[in-house]
Amino acid sequence: MIIVIIIIVVVVLIGIFFYNSLIAKKNQVTNAFSAIDVMLKKRFDLIPNLVEVVKQYTNYEQGTLTKIVELRSRAASGNISNAEKAELDARLSSSVKGLMVNVENYPDLKANTNFINLQTTWTESEEQIAAARRTYNSAVTDYNNSIMMFPGSLFAGMLNFQPIAVLETAAEERKNISAKELFNN
Amino acid sequence: MAQTVETNVALQNVLATIEIERKKIASTQTKGYLFIVLGIVVGVGGSILGFPIPAIIVGLIPFVYGGILHYKISANLTAYKQAYKQDVVGAALKFLDESLTIQPSMGIQAQEFVYTQLFTQEPDRYNTEDLVNGSAGKTGFYFAEVHAEYKTVTQTKNGTRTEWHDIFKGIIFVADFNKNFNGITIVRPKDFGAAFGAWFSKNIFSFGGSDVVKLENTDFEKTFVTHGSDQVEARYILTPAMMERILNLNHQSKYNISLSFIGSRMHIAFPLQRNYFEAPVFKSLMDPSTVNEDIAVIKFMYDIVKELDLNTRIWGKA
Repeated sequence: MIIVIIIIVVVVLIGIFFYNSLIAKKNQVTNAFSAIDVMLKKRFDLIPNLVEVVKQYTNYEQGTLTKIVELRSRAASGNISNAEKAELDARLSSSVKGLMVNVENYPDLKANTNFINLQTTWTESEEQIAAARRTYNSAVTDYNNSIMMFPGSLFAGMLNFQPIAVLETAAEERKNISAKELFNN
Repeated sequence: MAQTVETNVALQNVLATIEIERKKIASTQTKGYLFIVLGIVVGVGGSILGFPIPAIIVGLIPFVYGGILHYKISANLTAYKQAYKQDVVGAALKFLDESLTIQPSMGIQAQEFVYTQLFTQEPDRYNTEDLVNGSAGKTGFYFAEVHAEYKTVTQTKNGTRTEWHDIFKGIIFVADFNKNFNGITIVRPKDFGAAFGAWFSKNIFSFGGSDVVKLENTDFEKTFVTHGSDQVEARYILTPAMMERILNLNHQSKYNISLSFIGSRMHIAFPLQRNYFEAPVFKSLMDPSTVNEDIAVIKFMYDIVKELDLNTRIWGKA
């Protein structure tokens, strides 16, 4: 009789342990995503300044600037899903990247201290977002592993834990850089 | 570095000057050893042949004289060792980069060693020397030889026995890191203890508080265990490119290195068996291999800045 009780207690304890660890891993995923969110917000906040500085020196990039401002206001509106936010960010970052390349044509702008500061802050935020995305992906992989592997898979099935997709790089960023394309732009 | 030790006139001149001193010390020391050996031979030989007292008295004369020779040359030896560090190593440093200087009696203090968190054990005995300071491009760095040990006291039949064990022997390298960060990130070699500790804190105590940072680079994960106070920041520092560079650096070192990123600086521990920057007595300074080993280690440290790309300053840190 005692042995049966001990077995039941051990099984229950193991159950609690695995359940808690799954929840912890799921929370880590949420937490990691919020880190990306914070970084993205920081980056979006750079846009108005960047646009202001660039505007002073050039009349030719109006199209790009308008597009960037529009993307930024959509991203900051708050009523969008995480996936949309990620997509907007990808578009925004490719537009800004394009702008940074075109800046080569404006020596005055390139030498402007404010602009140089913004440029370094932008590169820093890119690197921080990349780090946050990697953290998110690592948390997701950890979570997915535990819900797909035995015995976690038993609980995951019972409690309806679903696998989460990792963030992938935008198709555009994954493309190999072609010098020809760069020069044709 | 187009010039080599052999073709560097300034360095060769310095070497030629102190080589004279080395020869003098070497010949005096050899003479001293010969007299000591002679004394022992006379004493022991005479005792075996049956007249120990006169043999020991006669043997004591060359033995003491040999000792006096050693004592008399010891001041020269200290001066010679000092001159080697200041002049030869100093010239070799300048030859690599004007900014490099050596302070033989300085080092990395024990508090700093503990602060770097490169090792978990606190030292009970600590020695440090040969602090080299300088900068490569925009990046300031310094390194020094460090020998840190801890002791164990065991009870034996005859009382207690104290044993000393190495925590670390080698060179600690410190450089200004090219990115801003606030937390602590530590990369340690993955030995059995570290691997088990990491697995334990990840899988058994995985209630969100684990500080183990799991990175994507499989080679890196096989070689090192990374701990970080901030998961995102650890990855901000250890970018995929940085992990590759650290692995490359590790391949060049005989033993696995440890790294830590604290307070805007990076610290690297290179375990080494040899004591560097020590002047040889019985080996010619004119033999290029003598100085080359010291120069190689300095160049290796200097090149870390390039190897890890620390001069790229595009992340908002001047």
